[in-house]
Amino acid sequence: MADVKGVGMTRGRMFLLILFKSLKVRKNRVAITFFSIMIGASIITALASVYFDISAKMSRELRAYGANFFIGQKAASESRTSDAGVVKDAMALIPSDKLIGASPYIYGVVRLDLGNAVLAGVDFAGMKKLSPYWQVEGKWISVDFDEDSCMIGKTLAKNMELKVGDSVNVIRNETGFQRSLVVKGIAETGQAEDEQIFVNLALAGRILGQQGRVNHAMLSIVTEGTDIDALAARVQAEFPGLDAKPIRKVSHSDGRILDKIKGLMAIIAVIILTVTTLCVMTTLIAIVSERTREIGLMKAIGADDRDIVRQFLAETLTIGLAGVAAGMLLGFLLAQLLGQAVFGSFISFRMVVLPVTLIPSIAASLLAAALPVRMAVRVVPAQVLKED
Amino acid sequence: MEKIVLETIGLTKRYGSVTPLDHVDMQVREGEWVSIMGPSGSGKTTMLNLLSLLDTPTEGRYVLDGVDTSTVNERERAVVRREKIGLVFQQFHLVPYLTALENVMLAQYYHGMIDRGDAAEVLARVGLSHRIGHLPSQLSGGEQQRVCIARALINQPAIILADEPTGNLDEANEEIILDFFKELHAEGRTIILVTHNPELAEFSDRVVRLQHGKVQ
Repeated sequence: MADVKGVGMTRGRMFLLILFKSLKVRKNRVAITFFSIMIGASIITALASVYFDISAKMSRELRAYGANFFIGQKAASESRTSDAGVVKDAMALIPSDKLIGASPYIYGVVRLDLGNAVLAGVDFAGMKKLSPYWQVEGKWISVDFDEDSCMIGKTLAKNMELKVGDSVNVIRNETGFQRSLVVKGIAETGQAEDEQIFVNLALAGRILGQQGRVNHAMLSIVTEGTDIDALAARVQAEFPGLDAKPIRKVSHSDGRILDKIKGLMAIIAVIILTVTTLCVMTTLIAIVSERTREIGLMKAIGADDRDIVRQFLAETLTIGLAGVAAGMLLGFLLAQLLGQAVFGSFISFRMVVLPVTLIPSIAASLLAAALPVRMAVRVVPAQVLKED
Repeated sequence: MEKIVLETIGLTKRYGSVTPLDHVDMQVREGEWVSIMGPSGSGKTTMLNLLSLLDTPTEGRYVLDGVDTSTVNERERAVVRREKIGLVFQQFHLVPYLTALENVMLAQYYHGMIDRGDAAEVLARVGLSHRIGHLPSQLSGGEQQRVCIARALINQPAIILADEPTGNLDEANEEIILDFFKELHAEGRTIILVTHNPELAEFSDRVVRLQHGKVQ
């Protein structure tokens, strides 16, 4: 007995002791709740991983999803650039109601702090519409006159050890240009853009000494009901010095199918969450029903409603968090199976999957606990303690 | 003059047209041992539920250790329960997955201060120092009741309310429990015992007899 004399214990430790012993004594029911949450979370993780990776995956598989029309110099032309005004006029020939997004491009090689890179001058507003599948960490550059910021491809950012918010020196020896730019966003594109640095068109013109020039323009045009070949012919007829041609890539109808697949995945996720919630709720109701006398006793010796709520929510959260953690691991493996089966490649891990799985799964667990906890709070000790 | 620890004034409980407890006036002084007796259906259980604040009266007042419990809300009732009342049950009602020591500490936990040493000391006092690490299922009925008494004592309550504490025990254990109650009484503890057993009641200072919900 000497080993326990005078030894204090915090309320927190006692709370944890009650929590874990009460879970341990109901292994079967706890296991059912754990597996329900784990299966729900794993399916959501798998679907979310595929969901967030699918566009990039599609673009990798099918080259570019987005731009489907090119305006630029003829291949035989000596100059690699065109007058920006002429290209702009050619772009204006595309009816605005058919145009989803468009951007002129000017390219050149610049030196950054840790090495050379391809710099692209673009119209960011047009690029954003042109490349909706880009996964951007940080922000898109939202204003055309922002000459202090840049966006950078993911591979280049990694090679140059750059993070969002870092500054990078952009140097062009030929023009003697040097400026420090803040990295506003890092883009994962699944394409060559992953290795490029982006600034607005005017700034790129000054850096590269190519003011008023562009290499080409990429456009995204609605294909449904549009004779895209006729559009190309019209542009070429009016601007004989330019080449205008459709790019046969993923059409927007394919994009819409992709959106429908994503919608279907969201619906499946909601159904899975609902089934998980019902399963967890049924098990928790059974647990509370088994424990009415224990709850009555706790109240009789001084527990108030908050103590009871805390106890049951903590139990649910403990099982829920363990289930979600295991479910995420399992779900990521499941996503690999799906990735292999559908794309023949692995699905990348994306941070956004963590909150997308964790928040709804824990919310579903707590929602499932609401009714059982209410039952527990309503236990009348005088009734349950008298029952034999 | 000795302090009045417990007082009921016109305490009444009604369930529709049934009145299991009908205008009961009772006073218990500090250190007094009062037994409440009566046949089945006389209102003993209802009286015990009201005195232990596990139920609320339809009418009347109940003042415990200076607190008029008829004016407090549910949360404050829980506070009064954990601070002023020590409950001893006929069926012991121990948490099955906690050891004897942890069952006593559970009452400390809800009270606010946990001290393993104090809990172990109370268990030693009821002769269970060698059983503190055992689960209720590993204890005999008499031992479980002693844990229940230790739990009732741990927070130094103003009153000990016992409901047929020897009802589920054999003769030998009944004697042990009775000796505890005698000891507690000798220490000046206030005890209210609900019992059928006249042998248990004979050691009390006073017997309150209930009949059809009224004090005879």
